[in-house]
Amino acid sequence: MIEKKVKEATQVCEGDQTSDECKVAWDEVEEISQAKADFRRKLEKEDPLESFCQDHPETDECRVYDN
Amino acid sequence: MAICTVYTTQLNPTCSSISTPSKPQHLGFHQNQVVFYKKTSNYKRSKSAARPSYLITCAAAGGDSQTVVIGLAADSGCGKSTFMRRLTSVFGGAAEPPKGGNPDSNTLISDTTTVICLDDYHSLDRTGRKEKGVTALDPRANDFDLMYDQVKALKDGVAVDKPIYNHVTGLLDPPELIKPPKILVIEGLHPMYDSRVRDLLDFSIYLDISNEVKFAWKIQRDMAERGHSLESIKASIEARKPDFDAYIDPQKQYADAVIEVLPTQLIPDDNEGKVLRVKLIMKEGVEFFSPVYLFDEGSTISWIPCGRKLTCSYPGIKFTYGPDSYYGHEVSVLEMDGQFDRLDELIYVESHLSNISTKFYGEVTQQMLKHSDFPGSNNGTGLFQTIVGLKIRDLYEQITTSKTQTPAQATKA
Repeated sequence: MIEKKVKEATQVCEGDQTSDECKVAWDEVEEISQAKADFRRKLEKEDPLESFCQDHPETDECRVYDN
Repeated sequence: MAICTVYTTQLNPTCSSISTPSKPQHLGFHQNQVVFYKKTSNYKRSKSAARPSYLITCAAAGGDSQTVVIGLAADSGCGKSTFMRRLTSVFGGAAEPPKGGNPDSNTLISDTTTVICLDDYHSLDRTGRKEKGVTALDPRANDFDLMYDQVKALKDGVAVDKPIYNHVTGLLDPPELIKPPKILVIEGLHPMYDSRVRDLLDFSIYLDISNEVKFAWKIQRDMAERGHSLESIKASIEARKPDFDAYIDPQKQYADAVIEVLPTQLIPDDNEGKVLRVKLIMKEGVEFFSPVYLFDEGSTISWIPCGRKLTCSYPGIKFTYGPDSYYGHEVSVLEMDGQFDRLDELIYVESHLSNISTKFYGEVTQQMLKHSDFPGSNNGTGLFQTIVGLKIRDLYEQITTSKTQTPAQATKA
């Protein structure tokens, strides 16, 4: 989606760099890029073992011995 | 929240008592009720002055006026930003999106704190903005009346149904219920734009990233994305600049604290944006906020901690501190240029800073280490964000103790 929006923005801005449409187009690109970056970060943090252990702490893989 | 204070001077065995605390106790209730409960002891007046008595007074001090509201102005990125995560971590607990609600909600909730993204108050969704030709930075795209009403309601202890702006779809989703928290943080592009909202804020922060650093950070963020190039990133920043300068930037004059991020001066011609020079600009005379200082408050200091006692690697660390004037206000500016490489550098610096509102020695270092994977953990951005978090905690505690003291009454009958 980013690709599409960037192409759109470059097209719109070809004419007038300072037009409102140009600003809005690049603002959209910024919004989407930020959303994508947040999404990526959320995915990165998903450690499958951690999320499994949160739900099943008593299983062998997840037992913690604090001595 | 009703605040009850129990004061006792001495215990009279002829009276029945509920509790015998030696210092005031605070009991909290979660309903907005005014409960007045008075119990005085029965005994004959005598000539001696000291008579045991106790009085319990519960007063709803103007509703849940213990909700402290903090405003954070930051460009793009809501609630999930590093600053927010550090802030909520200082107050305790991890802040997460509301469970069971809209998965694209921008709100973060922890035990003490709720973070609201001001994008939720967009009056125009993405299509609407395109039609009208306004960016999200433009005040015309935001409903300040609703923002004011809801922030005021939360501050007064009333829950609200807040709209959700979905950043993925670009649409306005059905509202979610927000209950008044102890600390409410409103984060977004315009927390200090509207004067009514500004007056509701107990403390406000502006995150001022210089253009070079902004460019470097956006490159890091977007270069891995297909569709982006150096030119497109540059064009995006340039196109947003006029609206940014007109509507967002002026808010920094109202902020109680500004964190300004600039490229380093320690490395000539460095344009990677890795080493940063960060300034913490703190307004003087703000209630409940005492600025951080180095060595001697009000004087001008230049300090390089690296030397005989501390060895640092290139480019090292440099601090400056001093009074200044910022948009017509008296401020104190603490500046750090450089990077931390090792734990002992961090603790060394912490031990020389004053007024950082820590509860124990090394708290700043501990907080920084807790989130060593966050960006900025080795430079002034992480350091000052953590310190601002501690100052806000201090401010919150001062506000709540000052509010509980007003309705308290102790009588000796």
